[in-house]
Formats: sequence, C-alpha cells, structure tokens
Amino acid sequence: MVDTAISSDLIRGHIDTIILGLLSTRDRYGYELCKEVAILSGGEYELKEPTLYSAARRMENQGLIRSYWGEESQGGRRKYYAISPEGTEAYRRNLADWQRARRLIDRLIAGDTGKE
Amino acid sequence: MEAIKYYVKGAFSGVEQTPEVLEQQEEIIADLVAKVADLVAEGRSEEEAMGLAIGSMGDLSTLVAEFQPLEAAVPAIPRTAVWATRLNLGVVALSAGVGAAVMIGSTALGALVDLVEPGAGFTLLATLGVGGWWVRNAYLRYQADPDAIEVREQEYRTRFRKAVLVWGGTALLATFMNITTYTDFWCWPIWVAGGTWALTVKMEKWLSRRPEFIAPEPHE
Repeated sequence: MVDTAISSDLIRGHIDTIILGLLSTRDRYGYELCKEVAILSGGEYELKEPTLYSAARRMENQGLIRSYWGEESQGGRRKYYAISPEGTEAYRRNLADWQRARRLIDRLIAGDTGKE
Repeated sequence: MEAIKYYVKGAFSGVEQTPEVLEQQEEIIADLVAKVADLVAEGRSEEEAMGLAIGSMGDLSTLVAEFQPLEAAVPAIPRTAVWATRLNLGVVALSAGVGAAVMIGSTALGALVDLVEPGAGFTLLATLGVGGWWVRNAYLRYQADPDAIEVREQEYRTRFRKAVLVWGGTALLATFMNITTYTDFWCWPIWVAGGTWALTVKMEKWLSRRPEFIAPEPHE
C-alpha cells in the first residue's frame, strides 16, 4: 500500500512525459493511453482517466499535443491525441532532464562520494 | 450504455454545457464504452463490465471542477435594499399621475374634435377614481410602515415585457368589445390602465436607483 503511494507520487510528476512518450510512437485515444500505461507498468501503476483528461487538456493548451475525432466505432466517436513538434521537443528535453536527475539521485541515495 | 451516459451526464450536471464540456463528456463515454467492450471480451457480463468500468473511472470531481460552474456562468441578478412602502408610493403616484394626465388629455382632445361620446365623461371619472384609490392605498401602507425595507431584484426586462404583452392582449380585447357594443366604453380605461401597469415597472426601475429610496442592507 505504502509502496503504491510512493510510486504514484513519484510518477505523478512525470505523467506529461509518459503521455508524450506514448504519443511519440503513434496517435492514441484516452483509454488506450491508460491501458498502455497499465501494460508497461506491469499493473503496478494505474493512470486514472480523469488524470489523463486533465493532463491532455493542459498539454493541448500548451501546444504540446493536439486532438481530433476518429471514425465512429462501437457506437461512438473516439478522441485521438497526437504529439506536436513542440511536444516532441518537450519530450526530448524532459527525457534528458529525467536521465540526468536519475543519475544524480542514484549517486545521492547510494552515498557514493566518488572517492575510494 | 444508457447507464454510462447517465453517470457521465450526472457528473457534469453542475457545469455550464459548453461545446468543450460536451466534447469532454463524449470522450469519457466513448472511452468507457471501449473499456466495457474489453471487459466483456475478457468474459465479464455486460452488467458487471459496466459496473467495473464506471467504478475504475474514479473521482471525476477534480476534472469537472476545471470547467466553469453553472452558477458562475449565469450572471447573478443584482439586488438592492429599498424603502419598500416609500418606493411603492412613489411608483404608484407617478404612474397614476401620468395615466391620469393621458386620460384627461385624450378626453379633452377628443371633446375638442367631437370624437368622444357623452359617456366619455363617466369613463374618465371612473378611471380617475380608480387611480385615486390606488394612490390612497399606497399612501396608507406607507403611513402604516414607513421604514419597511425589502431587498428587490433589479430585473425589470422580463416584468416589463410581460406587462406590455398583457397590455396588448387586453387592449385587443377591449377594442373587440368596443366594436361589438358600438361604444368606446371599453377602450379608454383598459388602454390607460394597462399602459399604466407597464409604466409602473419602468418607474420602479428608475426610482429604485435614486438615493432617497435605497435603504441599508437588512441584517439576518
């Protein structure tokens, strides 16, 4: 329970990057993004739809993604999201930031002073 | 599927139904439908799948809160505290005064050009009598409670439209009665009374903004 809460807090700050990463491969609709997150996390993290919709609205307003309605299926239209060039740039930047932060945090947590 | 729509529409019932809100609802419904289809494909019954899909959606309130609430979308009607009986007396006195002036003026004009029948004098007196009675009652109410305070909505457009519509309807009826009875007995009192009623709305709008009729806000 505690593990889930910690990982949720850690992941929450990177939801935009996760969504941008998934959209960088192809356009997806909301439920598909949530499903993909569940599969990639091996069921350890669940991206709730309301969180996704909020993030998508914010990122669309920032010009990082755009949305469009797809063909009718199963009695309704699906809203797809696509990454924009600004979104691709933001994804690369966030990824580099994360990798740098991860290396730093790994060192800090391990207490590695670099001196032997 | 109706349960999904009912759930989503219910969650968004407190916000203004803008195109953006409707689009958000359509997206959630489509995603829930896809989720139900997946769960059914996994072997769940449709009813069970529906319950699971809706349950897994979690709390929609944070998302809903991002949209404009209904009460904020509808501008509130401004309200003002007024000296009620004083304002009513002012409204009645001015409206009755204007109505009486129109009645006297049109009767005199009609007499000058020989357009009115002898019965017009009776009609004039009866209308003025009703006007006088109206002012008297307003005055008595003012005397009984001169410091009465009421908080009134400053919304006059609807009231004025309604008064004008009633005036038009009764004026048509009066004209019809006038034609069928070959007299002008029905016309003038109804036309003037109806017009005077509509005038009270405009008078109240005008007077309720004047400092001598604005009262301090009453405390609960």
